[in-house]
Amino acid sequence: MNTLAKYTLPALALLSLGLGSCQPEFHSPKFEAGSADFTRYIAVGNSLTAGFSDGGLYREGQVNSYPNILARQFRLVGGGAFEQPLFSETQFNGSGYLRLTGFSATGTPVTANVTNNLAIRATTPTTLYTRFDTRVDNLGVPGIRLSDIHTAGYGSQAGNPYFERITPTTTPLQSYFQRVKAEAATATFFSNWLGNNDVLGYATTGGLGGVITRTDTFALKNSRIINALTANGAKGIVATIPDVTNVPFFTTVRVADVRARFKAANANLDVYIQVTGSSGNTTRLATDADLITLQGSAVIGTTTTGNPFPVGAGLSAAQSNPIPNQFVLDATEQANVQAATTAFNSAIVAKANEKGLAIFDSNTFFRSVAQSGFVTNGVNNTAGFVSGNLFSLDGVHPTPRGYAVVANEMIRAINAKYGSTLPLTNPNDYRGVLIP
Amino acid sequence: MNLKNLLLAGGALLGATAAQAGGFQVTLAGQKNNGMGGVGTGLALDQASMFYNPGALAMVRERGVQIGVNATMARQVFRAEAAQYYNTDRQLDNTVTTPFNLYAGFGPQEGKWKAGIAVYTPFGSKLDYGYNWEGRFALTEIDLKSVFVQPTVSYAITDKLSVGAGLVVFALGSVNLQRDIPVQNNTNGQYGHIELDGKADQKLGFNAGVYFKPTDKLSVGVSYRSKIDATVKGGDVTFSNLPNSEVIASRFAASKFDVTIPLPATTNLGIGFMPSEKLTLGLDVNYTQWSAYKQLEFTFDQPVNGSNTSSSVRDYKDSFTFRVGGQYQVTDGLTVRAGGSYDLSPVKDGYVTPETPDANRIGGTVGLSYKFGEHFGVDLSTQFVSLQKRTQTQAELVANGNTDRVAGTYKTQIVIPGIGLNYTF
Repeated sequence: MNTLAKYTLPALALLSLGLGSCQPEFHSPKFEAGSADFTRYIAVGNSLTAGFSDGGLYREGQVNSYPNILARQFRLVGGGAFEQPLFSETQFNGSGYLRLTGFSATGTPVTANVTNNLAIRATTPTTLYTRFDTRVDNLGVPGIRLSDIHTAGYGSQAGNPYFERITPTTTPLQSYFQRVKAEAATATFFSNWLGNNDVLGYATTGGLGGVITRTDTFALKNSRIINALTANGAKGIVATIPDVTNVPFFTTVRVADVRARFKAANANLDVYIQVTGSSGNTTRLATDADLITLQGSAVIGTTTTGNPFPVGAGLSAAQSNPIPNQFVLDATEQANVQAATTAFNSAIVAKANEKGLAIFDSNTFFRSVAQSGFVTNGVNNTAGFVSGNLFSLDGVHPTPRGYAVVANEMIRAINAKYGSTLPLTNPNDYRGVLIP
Repeated sequence: MNLKNLLLAGGALLGATAAQAGGFQVTLAGQKNNGMGGVGTGLALDQASMFYNPGALAMVRERGVQIGVNATMARQVFRAEAAQYYNTDRQLDNTVTTPFNLYAGFGPQEGKWKAGIAVYTPFGSKLDYGYNWEGRFALTEIDLKSVFVQPTVSYAITDKLSVGAGLVVFALGSVNLQRDIPVQNNTNGQYGHIELDGKADQKLGFNAGVYFKPTDKLSVGVSYRSKIDATVKGGDVTFSNLPNSEVIASRFAASKFDVTIPLPATTNLGIGFMPSEKLTLGLDVNYTQWSAYKQLEFTFDQPVNGSNTSSSVRDYKDSFTFRVGGQYQVTDGLTVRAGGSYDLSPVKDGYVTPETPDANRIGGTVGLSYKFGEHFGVDLSTQFVSLQKRTQTQAELVANGNTDRVAGTYKTQIVIPGIGLNYTF
């Protein structure tokens, strides 16, 4: 027995030593800023930059804005504080937003407005939100067009309520450009993603409301704001604007599906749409090339007093209840949107290259997402409404997951341009659409 | 001890292992062999020959009963692609599994034949990934178990040549796979979860071998164990944390699943050298026909995420394992052992999955036996298995159409202490 102990005890000792030191490890990754300096980062842009989601601006969306995600990664390589004009924890629902309450019998998502814990301080003569009077690094202003940046009083009570709440009360007439220029004086890094609204308003109203900004105006204002942002030697990233006809707002309601629905009720029915002309409205048969907006889905099939047909249906142009024009983006209007998008993006890219800035080509990226989805750690995300995870309930703005994906793509572009080694974030840690 | 009792005893010990050898193979069938790098095909060491080479059993001098159990302790680290997080590499939740083996051999002491029964666990894997890891939508937990029971006969044609064969009964097998579903409910924002749990059908195969010992100093052996499919029919599907909406419920309605996972054939070639009475050296090459594992395909009675099947490409390749080991008899009672192995992964680049985070493996083993008197002995062994660091990128996954798994770097180390008791007569 002693002999056994003599031989086995050292063996057992060796064994337990082996067990204790068994956990494998990797070398810690090295994160570097490269040639960029992230000491003070400011974000310039519109609703996408503000973290707008589900048809509103609210605290959760702000916290998950792509600039905030970027700033978190920048902090690993010397980035400083990043202040957002957050709605308070008691007024966390901000402007209010849409939430998913369920599905109709046919599986259509049903949404409702969130109306509690809002940050609304006035409703007349215009809606105003609770002010935010301290430092702001995220200058994203929902609704702003590039063509608005020089408008004096854009931050006044008669202007844009999201800009109003961060515009100093002492300088109510300060334009967005002036504000950006003032902040840029101390910024070392910036992101600029303006221009979406210069075409979006036209598109979402079916070509009826909102005008497309002139290309020369767009190029000039883009040039001026980039000049202001780089005047102090700051480096940065700019983003192109995506072709909005790829987003669920335009791709969820399909003419073919509406037609099938009507024909199931009566084989003679078809889909008709209203055309606004200079000499009054006319009606024509819808084609598969027509894009119907998400807002149109609530209208189609409803009854109209005095018209025997539900909205959208008809036997002929003369005997029909056409879908109102503001819910339809026809082929010509789509061409206008695409031509403007292309022209605006040329201006954005040319100016960025002139200044040696990183570029996130969101147009190319979101086109690819629309065509083939985007996989994040085993999850197949798509541009589908509700099911796709990337787009929120308004069909235009991303979910937190979508914003995380945007942040990652920007990090890739920044790393490539400035030789930095910023880590990506895990998009699956950010929510998609929550299902009841 | 009848077969039923044996199996019950086995079930209690069971737990398969964190895939101690390539793919989800487990080659821990004999405690002496475990100390010698896993060699055995060209040797006639003890009753474990029934696993390594049934042909060698007739040349095993003693009859006897032996039982062995091992504790497989795997430690793994994973880092997602692009070094995503600062200082938050994922570590596998520690699991300990206990693959075991049991042999009983009998037959006339000086006769030409021997017979026996073997119980062993040739395949298995158990991994438990931590909460919230990046690959949670591919896998959160796996527990794959198998127990083979093998009645065996062996016959010595001459005093130099013997043959043997066993009927392999795939007696106990089970599959448990769990993963998260990328659908979030609005109650607590949690992701859905699916668990697949089932028992495998009993199946038959065979294990056969030839052993040839031309001189006192040299022996060679060849053996072959056939492929057996682990087929689960009507396993249970359980969902949790899913949203309550009817739209979701109709997409996730399954309650039963079927799956077939091949447990591939292996061909083994071994050589033994006995330069002196006290020293035995062995050299083994194993060839496992992993190419049988093309895909992991589940069929469901009702939809899972809108589809009644779910298929994930594996496309394993056939692979070799090389082993070398030896033992030296120090005193009448004490024998010491050492060995090593190099195990080529059957998993191709860009095909690594969390359920088998495989890579080429280097193993080192030590072992010893001590005999108490004429009949009773104890065998101790320890294996250290190191899986080489293996990285796969999202680009590789996209190129191979394997985006159902996660890009990143895996590294695994396994320590397997084992103990065996034997009684010979």
